[in-house]
Amino acid sequence: MSERTKTLRKERLQGFLERLLEEREVFAPRRKGDAVVLERIDSAGDVLLDDENTQASPKFALFPQRETLFEYRAGTKGEVVLEVPRGEAKNQVLFGVRPCDARGLLLLDRVFSADCSDPYYGDKRARTVIIGMGCVHPNPACFCRSVGGGPCSAEGSDLFFLDLGDRFLVEAASDKGSALLEDQDLEEADETSLALSRGIREAAEASMGRLDVRENLGERLNRIFEDPAWKDLAETCLGCGICTYLCPTCHCFDLCDEGTGQGGQRIRVWDSCQFPLFTRQASGFNPRPTVKERFRQRIMHKFSYLPETHGMPGCVGCGRCITECPVNLDIREVITTLSEGNPR
Amino acid sequence: MENPYVPFPMRIEAVTVETEDENIKTFELAFMSKEEGERFVYTPGQFAEISVFGKGEAPFGMASTPTRPGRLEFSVSRIGVVTGALHQMERGDVVGVRGPLGNGYPLESFKGKNLVLIGGGFGFSTLRSLTNFMLDDSNRKDYGDLTVIYGARSPGLLLYKKDLEGWREREDLRLHLTVDKGGNGWQGHVGFVPEVTRAMAPNPEKAYAVVCGPPAMIHFTLPVLKELGFGDDRILLSLEMRMKCGIGKCGRCNVGSKYICSDGPVFSQHELSRLTGEARG
Amino acid sequence: MHEMGTMENALTTEIREAARKLLREKKVEVVIGFERGSLPLRSRPCFVRNEEDVDRLVWDGTCENNLAKYAAKRKAPMALVAKGCDSRAVVELIKENQVSRDQVTIIGVPCRGMLDRSRLESSVSPKRILQVDEKQDRLLVKGADFEETVSRSDFLCDACRTCTHPNPVLADVLVGEPVGEGNQDSFADIEAFDAMEPEARWQYLSEEMAKCIRCYACRNACPLCYCPECFVDATMPQWIGKSTDASDTMIFHLMRAYHLAGRCVACGACERACPVGVDIRKLNRKLLKDVKSLFGYEAGLSLEEACPLATFRPDDPETFIVNP
Repeated sequence: MSERTKTLRKERLQGFLERLLEEREVFAPRRKGDAVVLERIDSAGDVLLDDENTQASPKFALFPQRETLFEYRAGTKGEVVLEVPRGEAKNQVLFGVRPCDARGLLLLDRVFSADCSDPYYGDKRARTVIIGMGCVHPNPACFCRSVGGGPCSAEGSDLFFLDLGDRFLVEAASDKGSALLEDQDLEEADETSLALSRGIREAAEASMGRLDVRENLGERLNRIFEDPAWKDLAETCLGCGICTYLCPTCHCFDLCDEGTGQGGQRIRVWDSCQFPLFTRQASGFNPRPTVKERFRQRIMHKFSYLPETHGMPGCVGCGRCITECPVNLDIREVITTLSEGNPR
Repeated sequence: MENPYVPFPMRIEAVTVETEDENIKTFELAFMSKEEGERFVYTPGQFAEISVFGKGEAPFGMASTPTRPGRLEFSVSRIGVVTGALHQMERGDVVGVRGPLGNGYPLESFKGKNLVLIGGGFGFSTLRSLTNFMLDDSNRKDYGDLTVIYGARSPGLLLYKKDLEGWREREDLRLHLTVDKGGNGWQGHVGFVPEVTRAMAPNPEKAYAVVCGPPAMIHFTLPVLKELGFGDDRILLSLEMRMKCGIGKCGRCNVGSKYICSDGPVFSQHELSRLTGEARG
Repeated sequence: MHEMGTMENALTTEIREAARKLLREKKVEVVIGFERGSLPLRSRPCFVRNEEDVDRLVWDGTCENNLAKYAAKRKAPMALVAKGCDSRAVVELIKENQVSRDQVTIIGVPCRGMLDRSRLESSVSPKRILQVDEKQDRLLVKGADFEETVSRSDFLCDACRTCTHPNPVLADVLVGEPVGEGNQDSFADIEAFDAMEPEARWQYLSEEMAKCIRCYACRNACPLCYCPECFVDATMPQWIGKSTDASDTMIFHLMRAYHLAGRCVACGACERACPVGVDIRKLNRKLLKDVKSLFGYEAGLSLEEACPLATFRPDDPETFIVNP
């Protein structure tokens, strides 16, 4: 544990980041107007490490909202030439990623590497190091503990930071993380620091509590698929895409061609199961014709289907869908209601 | 490593107008390189994503049989942007192909069994592939009795008329065609596919039923098969959902814990009944 | 979590009474109002169908959604809790035949303006707000270890600052006392914007649109956006691309603003719904100003006034519609 656990005094954070910047692109949280965003930094100043998560999840760094899959152009002899864009292939660090978001990336890893592995995601993933940051004061909308995570969990991070007050505890949580540490000059973590970190972890966890959700939620949801409770729960939903777009694990996308027959590109863009036409078939038939079916799909996908296929829930408890939903639909209330013996 | 999102080009060799309203055409495509042809190993029931560059991509079931290599055939119903663009294309034009995708029919399980293929309208595409595959000299002895029930709304809307003529001549296949509405000098049966199925009463013993067609047809045919004694694990369906990536990632075709494009599109009724209510639809 | 000032308390009581009576007398099948939300500073739409659930209904400065959104194409007779702007949206929906007058019972609520949550949260950040007590024109903002009093008028939603119709223009049941009216909207912000050079205006709009994530919350929160197939989803022909490409996003917002010209009631629900803070109202307000000055018309004020952009009169100056 001691080679892999260090401390970094806060005044030395700037130097730490500058060292990273020498060889990699670095994304870190910064304030932008009323919000905190994860963005590329050129210098180490202005990095924000308060207990406020970023507005959007970090999935965009591995799974951009718009991505060119290939370019095509008509050749001279009637053939078509396809070219996959060769990116700059720079290594990147995502710094200050909260435990919920780091866990979200783990689920995306499973989705994009299953069966036909996705090279666009895979390439970026291989070049990415995640430096996580624990949450000392979780937000009211956070519920990571209820979905298998924790506010100070290093799961999904390569290097994990915990704010001890005047310094950070820095833990290597993977080989990539250990390699990074070797490149930096940090102090050994002493017993005081370790004890402090344990206290902070416990306090953070205690402040959160756990939702009253049953163990075999997925099975229960399958059984109550036709229950009238869904209609009530979905009734105020506007059917926009905020929840899915801000979610760390949502990954539905569309493929579109932009251009003419002579030349253009095929792009991948984020899409949402909440949009009305997502499942509309060419014949006009739509198996999810109203908000109720689409609302149900999101919950089922996150708490039944994804756990069945990938062994972890499709929700990491970040709370963004709760705080940003224009009608304050609360996924915590949804799953506790549906967990109960007799849904409302 | 192979990139599952990038199609390879194929050239249109022939276009056949299948239906009298000209809304369905069959495209015969040729590989532009020998390696691509050799790499494309498929089974009936699988599909491919066809690209019209600049317009987009759409999934089509394989209508050809792998026993006739070097060419692929797809039947296209003109309904939207991509299919509309395809219908404008001619011999010599180039399209993109990604595939083969999906699971295909479980040929191993079919061996030694009797097959009852029930198709309606445009859904008959992959059943044509399966029928021609099983009828091929190299395969016929592997399978038992072969019954094909195929219905369309009217005689002019029946697909693969040349194949149908050839099948009629054969002794090792029982073919029964039907239309919802006669006319055009139609001498054959008039009636809906479920009724025809009931009347023909195929024997469920050592048999599989494969059903492919519009939701309404499936909805009324399933109870008939059950009545006749076909078990849920002996009834196979090819499910249709809106599909995009074809490789189980984009989420569009997600039903229950399955992706129609990669876990299907062929499912047994037994598997379907264990999926959520959406699949039972 | 959110204690209400006495004014809001009284309104809550009256709304509940009105709802109780309507449901008991079976005048409506559902009352669409607001209930307590699950976070500080939140209330949210709720559907009440039984008398025993009527006490879920609340009223305060966080009732920011436009409930007219839920009226269009609803078959059952309903009651709607409506602020001034919400009632104007109902008027427009009636004129556009999306709901009939006799189907909607409007429980009109005079509005003192809705609170701008994000401005309140930023003002105390990184401290967190647990509760806001509304006391007349002051707000008592409380957290775990702090308490601050601020002026309500400093923390109103942008749309509410320029509101000209805080009292419902149409109501079947009017609760509370009408609030002072007579605010004129000078559109000073739009005049300032118009006075900028074109490049500067384009720059500003482009920067705003760069934030947009095409979630369509603005469109979906708007009661006047009710098309079964929105133009963004059309494929034959396809009008705009689906991605966050700058020009596609700009066109989405411009076209939506134009589709709302003469119909937008300036409620601000779009801007409040936006998760990334795009200045959507700039476009809508520009068209509000133009429609007012060109046609002397404001949407949603009267059931009798026809929408100028949807009406052809023989004496219209341009005859393109009959002589193409």
